[in-house]
Amino acid sequence: MEASTSTHADHGAHDHIHPPPEGFIRKYVFSLDHKVIGFQYFFVGLLLMVIAGSFAELIRIQLMDPKGTFMSFSTYNVMFTMHGTAMVWLVTIPLVTGAIGNFVMPLQIGARDVAFPWLNMISFWLVPLSAITLFSTFLVGAPDAGWTEYPPVSLQQGVGGALWCLAIILVGVSSTLTGMNFTVTVAKMRAPGMTWTRIPLFTWATFSTALINMIATVALSAALLALFLEHAFNVPFFDSTRGGAAVLYQHMFWFYSHPAVYIFILPAFGVISEVLPTFARKPIFGYKMIAFSGLAIAILGFAVWAHHMFPSGLAPWLQIPFMILTYAIGIPTGIKLFSWLATLWGGRIHFTTPMLYCLAFLITFTFGGVTGIFLASVPADLHEHGSYFVVAHFHYVVAGGALLGFLAGVVYWYPKATGRMMSERLGKLSFWLFFVGFNLTFLPMHWLGLEGMPRRYASYEYFAKAFPDSVFWNQFETISSFLMVAAVAIFAFNILWSLRNGVPAGNNPWGARTLEWMIDSPPPYYNFKKIPTVLARPYDFADPLPYLNLDHDVDPYPAPTEAALQPARARA
Amino acid sequence: MATTTLTGHAAVEARYNDVDPVYAETRDMRLLGFVLVLFSDCILFSSFIFAYLYLRTSAPVWPPFVDGHQLPRLDTAFAAVNSVVLFGSGVTMHFALENWKNLKKGAFNMWMILTIILGIAFLGGQAHEYLSAQMTWQGSAFGASFFTLTGMHGFHVFVGVVYLTVLLVQANRGVYTGSKYFGLTAGTLYWHFVDVIWVLLFYLFYLW
Repeated sequence: MEASTSTHADHGAHDHIHPPPEGFIRKYVFSLDHKVIGFQYFFVGLLLMVIAGSFAELIRIQLMDPKGTFMSFSTYNVMFTMHGTAMVWLVTIPLVTGAIGNFVMPLQIGARDVAFPWLNMISFWLVPLSAITLFSTFLVGAPDAGWTEYPPVSLQQGVGGALWCLAIILVGVSSTLTGMNFTVTVAKMRAPGMTWTRIPLFTWATFSTALINMIATVALSAALLALFLEHAFNVPFFDSTRGGAAVLYQHMFWFYSHPAVYIFILPAFGVISEVLPTFARKPIFGYKMIAFSGLAIAILGFAVWAHHMFPSGLAPWLQIPFMILTYAIGIPTGIKLFSWLATLWGGRIHFTTPMLYCLAFLITFTFGGVTGIFLASVPADLHEHGSYFVVAHFHYVVAGGALLGFLAGVVYWYPKATGRMMSERLGKLSFWLFFVGFNLTFLPMHWLGLEGMPRRYASYEYFAKAFPDSVFWNQFETISSFLMVAAVAIFAFNILWSLRNGVPAGNNPWGARTLEWMIDSPPPYYNFKKIPTVLARPYDFADPLPYLNLDHDVDPYPAPTEAALQPARARA
Repeated sequence: MATTTLTGHAAVEARYNDVDPVYAETRDMRLLGFVLVLFSDCILFSSFIFAYLYLRTSAPVWPPFVDGHQLPRLDTAFAAVNSVVLFGSGVTMHFALENWKNLKKGAFNMWMILTIILGIAFLGGQAHEYLSAQMTWQGSAFGASFFTLTGMHGFHVFVGVVYLTVLLVQANRGVYTGSKYFGLTAGTLYWHFVDVIWVLLFYLFYLW
C-alpha cells in the first residue's frame, strides 16, 4: 500500500510504463512479464509432455504382447497413473491456459500485463514445484490407482499417495490463482472501447476458462485435501467402516474433473475461433453465439459430473437428469461447430499449418464429441464404462481437440512471439504425421472397447483368447503411436530451428486483425506505448481496422504477407 | 478537493474518490480480486459442507454409533455463546472501518482492538470445545466432518486475528489515509466472510 500523498497525475492510469527489469534472474527466471511467464509455461509444459508421453509409449509397448511381459504389472499401473496425472494437470492446463493464455490474452485486450503480475509468477512456479513433488513419488513408491485415485484403492498406497495429493493441490492452487488473475484482467483491463461484445474470441474463451479454473479447481483441492487427511491422519471421509463413503470422493472429484475437460478445450475453441476467420479471410460467423456458448459450456459443465459415475451405484432418479444435462452440453458445442463451418463456407481458404490443425480439429473433435454422447447415455455407458472406448473418446477430445488447438495456436502466434515464421515444410510434415498417427492409434480403440477390452489392464491374455483380432489392433496402435512421437520431435525441432532460421515475420504476417498483431514482433516489454481505442469487434474483414491511437501506422486492410504465403506459392 | 464543506457519508465518498487514477484503477482490480479469493474460499467450504451433508444424509442414524455407543449431540448452549462472540466481532469490525472512513482514529483503534479480542475469545471457546469433545477426528464421519470444517474455520479466524493485528499496526504507522484504505476494506470483507461461514456451520452442526 502506498502512503498518503495523493498526487493528481496529469496522465491517465493507462499511461504508466514501468522500466523493464534488469539482470538475468529478474528478466527470465522470476519474471513478472506475462510474455516471459507464457514462455516459461510453454517450455516446462513441453518438457513434461515429453516425459508423460514417454510413459504412454511404455504403456503401448507393454500392450504389444497380450501377456504383458515388457514390465511388471505394478510398474504398468504406475505408468498409466503418472501418464494421466501429468498429462492432465501438468501438461494440458499449463500449456493451454498458462502458455498461450498468458502470452496472448493481455495483448488481445490492449493491456500492458495481467492484473496481478506477482500472482502470475507464483502461479507459474507452483507448476515445477508440483512436478517435482509428483515425480518424487518414484523414490517412495509411486501412486498406481489411476489418475482418478479412487479410494479405497488409492488409500492402500503409502506415502506416494499422500504426495500425489499434495502435488495436485499445488498445481490446483496455481490454476485457481491464474483463474482469478485472468478474470480480473479481462474484467478490468480492457482497452477503452472494448466492450464485452468486442472482445476477441480467444480472450472470451480464456475468460470462460478462468471462471471454471477459479470455481472448480478449489472443489478438486477440497477432494484431495480430504483424501490427504485420510492418508496422513486416518480421517474417515471415504472409509465406509467408519461412516465415510468412497462414492463421495467420486462426486467431489468429478465435480472438478468434468469441468476440467472444458478447461482444456475452451482455450482450444478460442484458438480455432481466431485462426479460422484469419485463414478463411471472412468474418467469424455468429460472434456472439460463439462467445456466449463458451460461457454456457462453462456453466453447464458444472451440472454433468455424475455421468462419470453411472456404474458406481448412482440412484436411478439421478441418472436420467445427468444424462439429459450431459446431452445438453452438445447444444452449445454444436453451435460453435456450425458457426465455424459457416465461417469456412464461401471463404478464401489458405491452407497454412495453423489452418490445417484447425481443420483437423473440426474432424477429430466432432468425432470425440459424438462418442461422448454415447458415453453420456446410461444404457450405453453401462456397457462401455471402463473400456477402451472411454480411452478412445477421451483422447479424441483431449489430444484430437485440446492438443490440436494448442499446436495450431503455437504455430499461429509463433511469429508474434519470436519475430520469425516457423518452417511451413516441417510444420506440415509434423502435422500430417501427427494427424495420421493419432487416428491410427486411437480409432481402433473404439471397436476394441465395444468388444469389451478393459482399460488399465497390464495383460489382456484372456481377452485376446476371446477376441484374437485384438492382438493385431493393439500392435497396430503401438506402431502407429510412434508416428506421433516423430511428429512431436519434428515440431520441437521446428520450434528451435526456426528461432534462428525462420523467415522474418514482420508485425502481421497472417493479415490478422486482433490487437496483438498491431505491435512489434516480438512485442516490446510494455506491449503498447499508447493504449489503443477499440471501435468495433475485430473480425469484419470488409471494414478498415477498428482501432485508433495505435503505436504504428498499419494497413487498414491487412492481408497475408509474402513471408507467410511464400512456401505455399512456391509449391503451386 | 475541498471536503470541508461536506459532512457524513458525502464526505466519506468525496475522500474515497479523491485519489489519482492509477490508484483508483489498482484499487478496483484488487477489490474484485479479493472478492474472487473469498469466493473461491467459499467453494472450499462448500465442498466440505457437501461432504458432510452427503455423509450425514446417507447415514442410517445421526449422530452415528462408535463402538456400539451413539455419539452425543454437540453442546448447543456453549456454541451459541461463542457464536455471539464471533458475530459481535463482526459488528465491532464494521464500526472500526466506519470510524476510519470518518477520520476518527481513536475510535477506530478501540473497535479494532475489541474485534481482535473477540476473535481470540472465539478461538479460546473453540479450543475448549475441542478439548471437551466426546468424539475424535478418526472415529467417525461425524468427527471427521466436524473437526475438518470447524478446524478450517478456526484456522481462518486465526489468520484473521493475525491479519487484523497487522492492519492495526499498519494503520497506526500511517500506511492508510482517509482516501486510501483498501487494506482495511479487504480485512473487513475477510472478517465478515469468516462470520458468514460460521452462521452456516453453527446451523449445520449445532441446530440441525
